[in-house]
Formats: sequence, C-alpha cells, structure tokens
Amino acid sequence: MERIVNDFQLNIATANGTGSQSANLILLHTMFSMGVPVSGKNLFPSNISGLPTWYILRVSDRGYQAPADRTHIQIIMNKATWDDDIANCLPGTLILFNEDVKMPVDRDDCIVIGVPMTKMARGLNPKLGRMISNMVYVGVLAEILELDQNKLNNAIADQFKGKARAIELNLEAVNLGRAFINENVDTDMIPYRIENREMDDDVFLVEGNEAVALGSHYGGVGLLCWYPITPSSSLAEALIAYIPEIRTDENGDHLCAVIQAEDELAAAGMVIGGGWSGIRAMTATSGPGISLMSEFIGLAYFAEIPSVIWDINRTGPSTGLPTRTQQGDLSMLYEASHGDTTHPILIPGNMQECFEYGWKAFDIAERLQSLVFGFSDLDLGMNNWACKGFEYPDTPMDRGKVLRTQAELDAIENYGRYRDVDGDGIPYRTLPGSGLDPILYRGTGHDEDGTYSEKPEVYQALMMRLKRKMDNARTWLPQPVLREEVEKEVGIIYYGSMENSIQEIDDILEDEIGRKVSQCRVRSLPLSPVVEQFIRDHETVIVLEINRDGQLYGILRRELPNELIPKVHSAAYSDGLPPRARHYSELIKGVLKEVGQ
Amino acid sequence: MSIKLNVIDLPKDDYTGGKSTLCPGCGHDQISTVIINSAWENGLKPEMVAKMSGIGCSSKTPAYFLSKSHGFNTVHGRMPSVTTGAAMGNRDLTFIAVSGDGDSASIGIGQFIHAVRRNLDMVYVLENNGVYGLTKGQYSATAVKGSKKKKGDINKHQPIDLCKLAVNLGCTFVARSFSGSKKQLTALMKAAMSHKGFALIDVISPCVTFNNNDESLRSYTYVKDNDLELHAYDYIPTYTPIEGIEIPEGEFHDITLFDGSVLRLETIGSDHDPTDAVAAMAALHQAEIDNKHVTGLLYFDSNKSTAIEDQCLVDTPLADVPDEVMRPSAASLEILNTRFRGKD
Repeated sequence: MERIVNDFQLNIATANGTGSQSANLILLHTMFSMGVPVSGKNLFPSNISGLPTWYILRVSDRGYQAPADRTHIQIIMNKATWDDDIANCLPGTLILFNEDVKMPVDRDDCIVIGVPMTKMARGLNPKLGRMISNMVYVGVLAEILELDQNKLNNAIADQFKGKARAIELNLEAVNLGRAFINENVDTDMIPYRIENREMDDDVFLVEGNEAVALGSHYGGVGLLCWYPITPSSSLAEALIAYIPEIRTDENGDHLCAVIQAEDELAAAGMVIGGGWSGIRAMTATSGPGISLMSEFIGLAYFAEIPSVIWDINRTGPSTGLPTRTQQGDLSMLYEASHGDTTHPILIPGNMQECFEYGWKAFDIAERLQSLVFGFSDLDLGMNNWACKGFEYPDTPMDRGKVLRTQAELDAIENYGRYRDVDGDGIPYRTLPGSGLDPILYRGTGHDEDGTYSEKPEVYQALMMRLKRKMDNARTWLPQPVLREEVEKEVGIIYYGSMENSIQEIDDILEDEIGRKVSQCRVRSLPLSPVVEQFIRDHETVIVLEINRDGQLYGILRRELPNELIPKVHSAAYSDGLPPRARHYSELIKGVLKEVGQ
Repeated sequence: MSIKLNVIDLPKDDYTGGKSTLCPGCGHDQISTVIINSAWENGLKPEMVAKMSGIGCSSKTPAYFLSKSHGFNTVHGRMPSVTTGAAMGNRDLTFIAVSGDGDSASIGIGQFIHAVRRNLDMVYVLENNGVYGLTKGQYSATAVKGSKKKKGDINKHQPIDLCKLAVNLGCTFVARSFSGSKKQLTALMKAAMSHKGFALIDVISPCVTFNNNDESLRSYTYVKDNDLELHAYDYIPTYTPIEGIEIPEGEFHDITLFDGSVLRLETIGSDHDPTDAVAAMAALHQAEIDNKHVTGLLYFDSNKSTAIEDQCLVDTPLADVPDEVMRPSAASLEILNTRFRGKD
C-alpha cells in the first residue's frame, strides 16, 4: 500500500479526568521531537471528570496547524460518544478502538482494529487500569506509525518528571500496545507513517498563556490580580509559578504581588490602584470578566491610569461555551464601558508575539496613560504551539511621562495633570507619595488641572484630546504584517489565532481556484494607516474572523473612508472549534463569486 | 503671633482642603474636620497619605481635607479594591478612606468584606446616615427598622450593621462613633491612624436634609440622647511622655498601638473589654434591641498580619524599585529558553 507520510490527522476520543491528556501530550512531544511539524488541540468539556474530550493531532509536512477537513486515524475509548465517533469517520479511516468497552464497530468501509486495552492495562496494575489503558493506545500508534522509541521514552520521562514507578508502568503499557500490533496486525495494510525530519532544534512547544505570563514578567509586572476563569487561569498560574525563580531579590523577597480577587470587578479595581500608585499591574480574564470590569475600564480611560488586561477569549455570549474558542470579544474590548471610549488592543498571532506583547503592553499603557488590552484566545492560550525562543526586550522600559522630582515639575510651564503641554494628547502625571502637585483623581468631569468641572467646553476639549491621544498611537502600535502578491487583486485581512490556518487557506485557494491572495495580519487596534493603504491597493478585500458578526469588519466599516467600504467583505464564522481552513476558503470563494472575480 | 506647628513642623493649613459643597450642618463636614485635626496632631506627612473614596456624599469629602495628599475618588462601592492595588504598589503610604452606607453596605459590601478579610492596612471611615443623599433621600441598607425619614414611609427592613459584620469577619479595629462627639471621634481617629491593619470607624453622621426629623433614629437629637459610650478615651501620642499625662480618677486601661502611641480607655458604667469579640457582639446586639447607639472602640486585635505582610514583598515600595531590578536579566531568559529546548 502506498504510504502517507507526515500528512494526516488523528482524533482521540476519551473522557476527561482519565489521564488521557498525559498520553496525548506524550504523542505530541514524541512526534515534535522527531522533527515533524505537528499541532495538538484539546477539545475539552467544562467539567472535572467523565465528560467527552477529543484530542486532535494534525501532522503536516507543510506546517498546517489547524484541524483538517477529515480525520484519518480515529481512536475510540469513550462509550458515551462511541456511535457518533464511528459515524463521523469517512470511508478509509483507520479506527482503533478499545475492545473492552464491548461496543460494536460496524464499518466495513474502514480499517478497523480492536485492542483489549483495559484488559492489558489491568494486567499491569488492576487499580490504575483505566489510566494506563490510554498508554496502550500510545504503544499501538507507536508501532503502526513507526515512532522512534528513544524519543517516546524521553517524552514519557518528561511527562512523569522524576516519578520512576510511573515512568516504568507507562513504558510497560506502551510495550504491550506495540507487542499487540506486532503479533496481530499486518501494518502493511495501513498507509500512515511518521518519518523523522530535520528541524531547528531551538524550536520548542509552549502554550500561549505561559508565553504571555513570562513576557509580563520581563515587562516588570509588579501586581497580578485575578479571578479564576477558563481559559485565562493558566496565564495567572504560570505567572505565579515563575515568581520564585525570576522575581525575587537576594533575600528571597518578592518583586511581584499577587492577589486572587473576590471577583473580576475587584481585580480590575486593584489593577487601576496599582497603576495609579506607579507600578505595572495586570489581570487576566475572559469575556464574562470583561463584562464585569467594564465600569472600571471606563475609569482607567477617563482618569488616564495605565492598566493592562489580558482577555483570553472563549465562546460567548453569556457563559457560552466556556472551553471553546472564539474571537468574539474584539468589538467589546475596543469600546468597553459606557460613553465614548477607545482602548488599544494588542493581538499576538504566535508564541513569540505572546511573549513580546506581554512586556510591551506595559510600555504602551504607561506611554499612553491608558488601559491596554492583550487579546488572545483559548486556542492560542491553552494549546501547545511551536516557538523559536523568547527574545529579551530590545528597549528599556518606557515609563511614560512621569514627573518624579520638583525640578522636573518646575521645568514644565503651566503644568496641570490633564494639560496637553506637548501637543501629543498625552499629559504628565505625578505619583502618590511624591508630594508633587497632588490632585484628587476622579471619574467625574475634570479640567486640565484635575478639578471637578461640568463646563461644556471643558468636557468637549477633554474628550477630543483623549481621541487625539489614541489616534496618534495608530502609527506606533504593533504594525500589520503584510505578505503582498504582485497582482493586487484579492487581499485577506485577519488577526490573532487565525494565523495558524492562513497558510492552508492560501494553498487551498491556489490549488482549487488558482487564486493568489495578499495577506494583512492586523496586530493592534486602533488600526494602523497601513491597513487602509492595503485596502486601497487591492480590488477586493475580505476580512477573516472567528466570530459570527464580523467584528473587525464592523470596525473597518466605521473607520474607513466611505469610498473604500464597498470593496471590503466579511468572512466570519464561529462554531466554538479552532478555525478550519475549509470553512474560510469556501467563504472566500463565495465572496469572489459574488463580486465576479 | 507665631503659627502653631505640629511635631513635624507643619501648620494646620497644610492639612486642610477645599471648601465643602455639602449641605450646611452636614455631619460629614464635622468628620472632615476631625480627620484634618487628627492627621495634623499625629504628625502624618501629607505627601505620604493617600485619600480614597467611592461615590456618594461622603465620598466627595476627600476634596475637603488634606489637599497636599494625592487622592482617588473611584467608582461606587469599589474603593477597597483600588486601595488594595495602590497599597501593593506603595506600602509606605497611609491610606485614609471615606465611604458611605450606600457605598459600603449595598453596592460595595463585597469589596468591604474582602478588604477586611485581607486585613488591608487602612483607615476606613464610614460616614453612616441611613440614606442616599445625592439621589435625594432613599433609605440605605443601614437604615434602622421602624425609623422614618423626612419624606416617605417607615423603613420596614432590618439594617445591616457593618460593625457587627466587621467583628464577625475578624476586623482588627472596629469602632463606632457619632459626628457630634468630637472628642471621642478624634481619639478614635488618631488611634485608627496609628493602627496597623484594617481600622473601621462607623460614624453615625445625621443627614440634615433627608433624615434629621423627629421620627428618625439617626437624627442629631435622637443619637445624642441615645448614645451609649463604652469608655471615655484619651489618645496619647508617641511624642508626649506618658508621665506627663494626667492619670484619670476612675479605672482605666491602655491599648498600645502599632506606632507606639496609646489609646487610654477610661471605664464609664460597665467595663467593655475590646479584645473580646463576643462582648463586642453582645454590646451591639443589646443596643439594637434597645434602639440605642453604642459608641466607642468595640474590638481590637494587634496580632494579625496585614495584606502587605502576607505578600512577602521587598521592603522598598514596588513603585520605587528601579526598572532594571523589576525586569529580570537577559541571562535569566536564556536559562528559561535553554530549559524549554530541553538542553539544560
């Protein structure tokens, strides 16, 4: 049989809380350490134990990281989803199932192999049988796919760090799985194989939330306040975990305070208190948390307090699908809180940017004296992604316009906390404890000296200055990444975790309709003028988003000059799962057909 | 005539604020005066004080005292969280916070509770009048059952007593006072400023516009006639030799505060032990049954660690730590990158 090497998708159906995550990560790390481009997606339930979980492993020499159109190898362990998992298999799928579940698999059009996984695992250890049975499928796959046993050994050792007995037991289970296939299955009838590839051995796997957490430390974060919420909790927990190693002085005293707040409102208030006092403070949350924080977000905007909030987007609205992904919070973040507001948003698309924007968010917040959002999502934040390494900040911290001495204050003619003395919309500030020109900060209307005011002309001038301040930032916030074709016919605008699907979308369009498209990856809001130029330069522009309504498309429609609006189109789609190239390539084809291109 | 200076050689003018815009005769203005006098007499450095408040009549008052201190008039009911964040940033600041009964007993009761729970080092002055003034006189959650404000029906709901709540939560300094009792309030205010930890002073402060009528249990006349004082108080600052203080004729005992100053409790009537939480609850409960207002230091505990102490932070306020110390070294990142790559 003709072999299919490094180009297929595995789907592993288990129940959560059964230890399957360890088995799946071992598979991921083994393949990754063989130099094979691979991505793993954990589709987990909002539950502690017993509900269905799927793990999708995409192996692709072309580097595709999003889930594919179809599954090639289906592992079935979970009784609860048994029938659906089997029904979803397309003809030709290799189905590996746990025979001991004693459920039928009636698919003549597939390659079906039953393995008595539970029985084999119980033979090793009766008590831990259920957990170890997951390692049996690792062994089964290792034998069929010809995984490198040394790499597999290393992955197991890493996963069960230092626990000799666990390592031994899991290795035995793998060996049993291998032996079963060796004795009972002619693997020549199965086409799928993994082959070693040369890969830069500086590349490693990391989760986006951990990358942001580390980046925040290298931004000198002094206060983390948080309230647990999926999928952001692992960001806060990673940040906390690194404090003993990289954020203590010679006495072991901490340089970063951590408060698990009573709710998201309090977390936001603490961030603002920290920013007001002169430190770099942040919180991490998800959509429901942002909704609760909205009043404080307006205070940070209006009183001009540097603050950082990371939104790890999950599927909304309301409680929504708490363990699924989306880009559904973008428009809310951009204008969060009542009245006229605008907040800068940093949108990383890979692990290096997660780290970079982790520290940069503070520079931007302090420079603008405003609240800055980091915008990630569950897919980027909680799945493992390849990373070339984290780069140390290339600039000293930008602390913004803070006056720390009387001489600095005296050097400014006609100082006022909210007076635009430099003409860039950004005033100077002094800190509590400095004794320098103290004022009572407030969320009420205020004049240039910070004194309460309800005067129409004072309010209007203040609001226009705040707008000017944000508009000026368009040219120096992280600029879009462009990949432009010579023939500038079709341009695609996208952002964030869509980065992981874009290459495949691009290839589908070229393969199937012979179209080469330019790409513009937006990395911040408010939008750079480069985005407008990109739109101007192309005949048709399509905005790809993981939401229902086309939220960036909506922002573009409002901010673009009228004459450009007719050529901008939306390709928005969201079902809770990570973006699949096929959905978007079809939407793009639809738009192109509609406009006659 | 020479201007009188305090222990750090500052005139009282350095502790005053802007002109009040509250109703003439408002109890809150008397409290502001007590804050000014106490801060001046205690010799607090104005620049090291941070004035915090939420929203409401009471929360406007930080504009009327200590104009040489930074302040933050935050959002409704959320002052405790902003104060918590600021305390983490600058542990050397003295936080003097003003809140009201709407702010603390309704919209912000959760934040009040959690600030107490963390024993955040702050003076929390609750200006308690039982009504919402700025929105024109609705009952608040501390309004006494059976009380009647100037316009409207008798209040049918039982009150939330924030002193009871605070004692139950293990608050380290719980006092109740009356805006008309200047001597008692001043001694308690000074003691609260000298305390390490969360110091609550629930000050009954009659609303002259909406809740000062004869049927109200929060009117000046009613509170004055029904004030059960636990002790008479003398505050003895650190800079006054204790030998120079006149010994009271009756029984007394002293409480030593964190900064070394002393609050002297002189027995009047039954002797309340402020280290006894059960006695504090009993006194509050009995006063409620009798429609009285029990005032004085209800509860005191000097042994609990504060929110800042629990953090194990460096001694220098984080806001003053140099950037190059706050940002970890390039070498540390190299170690992490190497570990991620499995090459360590």
